[in-house]
Amino acid sequence: MKKLIGIIFFLLSGVFLLPVAATVFFSFYSEGGFTADGYKDLLFDCFVFYPMFWNSVLYASAITLAQLPVVILCAFGFTWAKFRGKGILFIFYIILMMMPLQVTILPNYIGLRDMGLVNTPWGIILPMIFSPFGAVVMHQYMKNTDSSVIEAARLETSSIFRVILVSVIPQLRVCIFAVALFVFAECWNMVEQPMLFLTDKNLKTMSVFISEAGSYTGAVLFPSAVIFLIPVLLLYLFFSDSLEKGLTLGELS
Amino acid sequence: MKVKRKKHLSWNVKCILCLAPSLLGTLAFFAAPFIRVVYYSLIDNQFRRNFVGFDNYMDTLTNKYFLLALKNSLLLIVICVPIVIILALIISLVLSYGIKWIRKTRAAFVLPLVIPTASIALIWHSVFASFDSVIPVYLLFIWKNTGICIVLLTAAFTAVDPALFEAARLDGAGTFTLHKKITVPIVMPTVFFVSLLTIVNSFKIFKEIYLYYGTNYPPDHSYTLQYYMNNNFLKLDYQSLATSAVLTSLLIFGIVMGGMALQKRYCQ
Repeated sequence: MKKLIGIIFFLLSGVFLLPVAATVFFSFYSEGGFTADGYKDLLFDCFVFYPMFWNSVLYASAITLAQLPVVILCAFGFTWAKFRGKGILFIFYIILMMMPLQVTILPNYIGLRDMGLVNTPWGIILPMIFSPFGAVVMHQYMKNTDSSVIEAARLETSSIFRVILVSVIPQLRVCIFAVALFVFAECWNMVEQPMLFLTDKNLKTMSVFISEAGSYTGAVLFPSAVIFLIPVLLLYLFFSDSLEKGLTLGELS
Repeated sequence: MKVKRKKHLSWNVKCILCLAPSLLGTLAFFAAPFIRVVYYSLIDNQFRRNFVGFDNYMDTLTNKYFLLALKNSLLLIVICVPIVIILALIISLVLSYGIKWIRKTRAAFVLPLVIPTASIALIWHSVFASFDSVIPVYLLFIWKNTGICIVLLTAAFTAVDPALFEAARLDGAGTFTLHKKITVPIVMPTVFFVSLLTIVNSFKIFKEIYLYYGTNYPPDHSYTLQYYMNNNFLKLDYQSLATSAVLTSLLIFGIVMGGMALQKRYCQ
């Protein structure tokens, strides 16, 4: 029985891996057989690829790095501040987290246009810094951390930043890694924002590149898909442990 | 005494101030835009700006593409969400209580969570391009969204204290009763949350379909609410977009509030 479950699981995990494996396979495969020509075409002949890849790296890293302090402070506030309407405010964040992008895309666009941020990297980066997912996850995690450490740190210093730095962040390590990985993967996966908010080709991202890669010369389609997933794959390999331990969401309010 | 009270107050104020950056950003990029959407849904067009009450809503609710999109979005929920949840429950149960080496397969189930859609839509396209059906889209959704559920569910399963099991087993409880009385109540809130999250993610499925078909006009069976909104954005039809955005967010608001009420009622 146990063996049977084992075999079924082995096969099932194979099914889940199959799309990625097939993408890698096809990146080396063309009519004649196996070749790395696609990669050669992409890396040496397709110069649009580099700025777009770099843009993806830039946007995703900038958003992730800028979002972490905002999220940590916000979760800290939600956990420790006492004021009326805190519960409702948190529910508001949860609902916001669940809204599809398209709901506010129009006024977002108009707002960014009024600020002169359309067709600049800021139009992509700024709104994403405040996406509420990280705050919600981190607050859930922070609720269960040891508060006596914070009380102790408060006796030592009156600066709230020192308290957070010394007593909160060490406890949150796993959760911070998990949120960072998740946010980075989300930003890496952005399609709508670069498509709608950017018109300049030099500012667009790899997602856009791949969706148009069919029109470039050479078999660059599958190689670009593989290269696009390598950075997140590496991050996942490094931080998957945190991802599994740092994301806990259950009772909401 | 008075000094201490003042200090306490200032700590609380500092804590509240910690919320400020996030609140300001949320206000600027989410709350204010949303109010604008509501406003746009109530006027005739953005130049004349006459209030027309619920006319736009009547138009949208009788628009055949909106209804098609709504139907497709709801169908996606009804069919895919149960599949995702049941699959995730089975997988995380086995991962939490099964044989040791099976646990190594977990990375394979979670991996799709971080894989960018653009990379994977290609293979989907090459394999399924000849099928005129919505099933490939469903498969893509299930493939991508089971991982996060497994992460959250296994966290919940492993949070069950083994000492509780031991105690109950000493009292003579069988495996079934054990799980019914201990595991289920502890895991239930997470199951609720994960269901809610998956429903909501089904409303976010746009890039999957867009990249799979590579067009703004997918076949009828894959035309979802996000497409309706996206295309009205491209057509600069502000009123239709705003109205459907408000209706969609009302629907999501209802689902979230309903889900949370259910969670409160059955998990305590």
